[in-house]
Parts: sequence; structure tokens; C-alpha cells
Amino acid sequence: MGGAERSARKRRQGAQTGAGARPTGSGKGAVAAARKSGVDRKTAIGIVVVLVIAVAVVGGVIFTRSQKDDTSGQAIAVKNTGVEVPAVRDGAAVLVGKDAAKVTVDVYEDFLCPACGSFESAYGASVEEKLAAGEIKVRFHMLNMLNDRSDPAGYSTDSANAALLAADEGKFLAFHKSLFGSQPEEGARGWSKDQLIALGKSLGLTSQTFADGIRSGKYDKDVSDAFQKVRTTDYLQQEYNGQKSFGTPTLAIGTKIVDTSDPKWLDNAVAAGAGS
Amino acid sequence: MVVTEPAVAERVRSGEPVVLDVIGTVLRLGLAAVWLVSGWLKVRDPNQTFIAVQAYDVLPGGVVSVVAAAMPFLELALGVLLVLGLGTRLTAVLSGVVLLAFIAAVAQSWARGLSIDCGCFGGGGQVAAGDTRYPEEIARDIGFLVLAVWLVVRPRTRFSLDARLGRAAEPVG
Repeated sequence: MGGAERSARKRRQGAQTGAGARPTGSGKGAVAAARKSGVDRKTAIGIVVVLVIAVAVVGGVIFTRSQKDDTSGQAIAVKNTGVEVPAVRDGAAVLVGKDAAKVTVDVYEDFLCPACGSFESAYGASVEEKLAAGEIKVRFHMLNMLNDRSDPAGYSTDSANAALLAADEGKFLAFHKSLFGSQPEEGARGWSKDQLIALGKSLGLTSQTFADGIRSGKYDKDVSDAFQKVRTTDYLQQEYNGQKSFGTPTLAIGTKIVDTSDPKWLDNAVAAGAGS
Repeated sequence: MVVTEPAVAERVRSGEPVVLDVIGTVLRLGLAAVWLVSGWLKVRDPNQTFIAVQAYDVLPGGVVSVVAAAMPFLELALGVLLVLGLGTRLTAVLSGVVLLAFIAAVAQSWARGLSIDCGCFGGGGQVAAGDTRYPEEIARDIGFLVLAVWLVVRPRTRFSLDARLGRAAEPVG
């Protein structure tokens, strides 16, 4: 809008109030009229601003939600191990391996923890080999340390509970491997209880006990209690950036932490078992 | 009956310093860039944004989810409005409110001894105790706040929709 046009409007406004029509607004009426018109315009602009923001925010929340819910129709990919060794649930842990194995490695992990996912993809296959060969036993402790880190919260607990229920019915290793194979990102939507039940079904866990146990959170409390105990267990604390704390994954043999940054940690563990 | 020349000439004559308009324009576009960049980096990684919001440890779970989903789009909306120069004063006020909330959030993390990255421009979440940048983060937000305050006090800028829609009708002294 040009200045001339603007001035013309001012003149009209001034004329309406009958208080002179000079564009410089020297008449009080012209100023008042201009002010009134300005207020109307400001109100209109204000409404537009608020609307733009409201639409962006509401639309953004709906968009983000639907984007995160993309996984709701998917199935957790089944990963079998082909390893046939005993797997016995012991409280909130599962002891896997042949009785003859001389060394037992305690593995503390959380199904949502990215470092645990990396650990599993790096060493899962070698651990399976050693389990099958009867060289080690592994006690898997499924913790819910990152329970708030899924959106919505709860995946750590749900997945740990489900894995314990799978152990009760003899499918622990495959269930465990499948969950780490399709690990949700932190901050993403975790797999729902229905999806965990569906994974069980694909692995042959069709019992009502399994499905009911997942829905009711049968071992939720055991998982939480176990985590509270572990996080305050002295020998499981490690140095993280200058502070002692518990993190996942943590591996221990007896009361000694296993340094998994050493790529030969597994061979060393087996050797230690053979030597004893 | 005098028909005035275009707005600039009018204001030069009335003693309104045009240079302030130019400064305001630069600040407006600067603040717009801040919002657009920070909003875009957050929109691109909604999972990380969720982790970043949660790390402040202020909001309950369900609210974290909504805030993390809404905030990037709020920032983008503020950025777009500032680029357009539409409702500059109101947008600047809202920008200031959001920045004050950010500063408060960072300050409470600092005061409580949390070790987090503010996630102001993507990223965020827990960091090592020695890797926190609270003073820098707050200083940076205060810098942005200065831009917003200028635009609240003096929202008139060039190349803005506000000007096109006829700010001349607004009382400016």
C-alpha cells in the first residue's frame, strides 16, 4: 500500500469523525479515528498470529504422534537362534546354558538401551556359540532402567516382563534376540503389549498364560525390584565420565566387572572358566 | 490538501530515524532464523527431541510427549511469522515468553546439578558431568531475548507484512 493510498484512507477516517481531513493527523479526531482503525487491524493481525501458532502446534502434535505411531501396525521380526540349551527363569533373571559350563557371565541390560543393542549385535552370535558349545552360561538380567525413555513410557518394563514370560515357556533366547533385533529408538514408541504377544505367537508361544502375563504385567514388580537392587550393588558400579554409577549393559563374572571394550573379553572369560 | 510521499519520506520528515527500522529488520530476520533453524533441527528428530525435553526432568511423562511434539512447530511458526513480519510485536512477546521458559528450564537443571545438554538446537539429553554448557546456553538465550525485547519495544521494521497492512494507522508517537 502506498503512502498516498494510506493518506487517502486517513482522510476518509478523518472526514467520518468530522474533525478535519488533514493527512498529518493534526486534528484530534483524525488521530482517534486512526487509532481505532489501527486497533481493529491490530486485533485482526493478533488473531491471525494466534491462529497460525495454534494450527502449527496442534497440527504438529498430531503429525508427530502419527509419525511415531507408524510402528503400531508392524510386527516384530522373528529371529531364531538355533541354540538348544536350557534357559531357566530365576526371579527377574534367566539363566541360560548347559550345566557343564564352568563359567557364568551375568549380563545386565535393558531392551531399550542403545548400547545394549550394539552389544548384542556385536557379540550376540559369539555368545550363542559359546552357549551351544557349553563353554559358558549367561544369566540375563532384564532391567527397566530406561522405562521413561519410550514414548509412551513403559517399554522397558513390558519387554523385560515379556522376556521372562517367554523364558517360562522355553523361548527366551529367540524372544530376546528378536527384541534386540528390532530395538526401538529411545524417545520413539516402543512395541506395545499386543505386539509383544504377537511376537510370542510367531515363536510358538500361544498359551493364554503368556498373553495374560504380558497384559497384567506379571513380573513388572520383580523387574523393578531387581533394578533397584542392581543399581545399588557396589561391585556393579562403573566409572562413567568421572562418576560412579550403574549403566547398561554391564557384564560381570562373580563380583568382577567384565570389560567388554576388550574385544577378547569372551575368550578370556571362557579361558578363566577352563582354568578354574 | 497535501498528499504525502511514501512512508520513508514521511517519517524522515517527522524525525523518525529510518536507521532504527533497518536495525529492527535485521534483528527480526535474525530472530526468525534462530527459530527456523532450531525448530527444523527438532522437527527432523522427534525421538531425540523427546529425550531432550525429558532430560530437564520437570514434566510428567505424558506432558513431555506433548511438549516435545509441539515445541518444534511452535518455534517454526514463530520463525515464519517473524520472516513475514506479521504481528511482529505479538510474535516478539511470545518469542520472549518462550525464551524465558527455556532460560528457566536450563537454570533449574543447572541449579539441581543435572548433567544435560539443553537440546536448544537439536541434540539434548544426558551428558557427562564435565560437558554441561549451562552458562553459555543461558547467555545465548539472553542474547536471543534481547532481539525479542527490541522488537517488542519497537516492532516497526522494513519488508514486513505489518508495514504493508498499514502500520501508519497505528499511533507511533
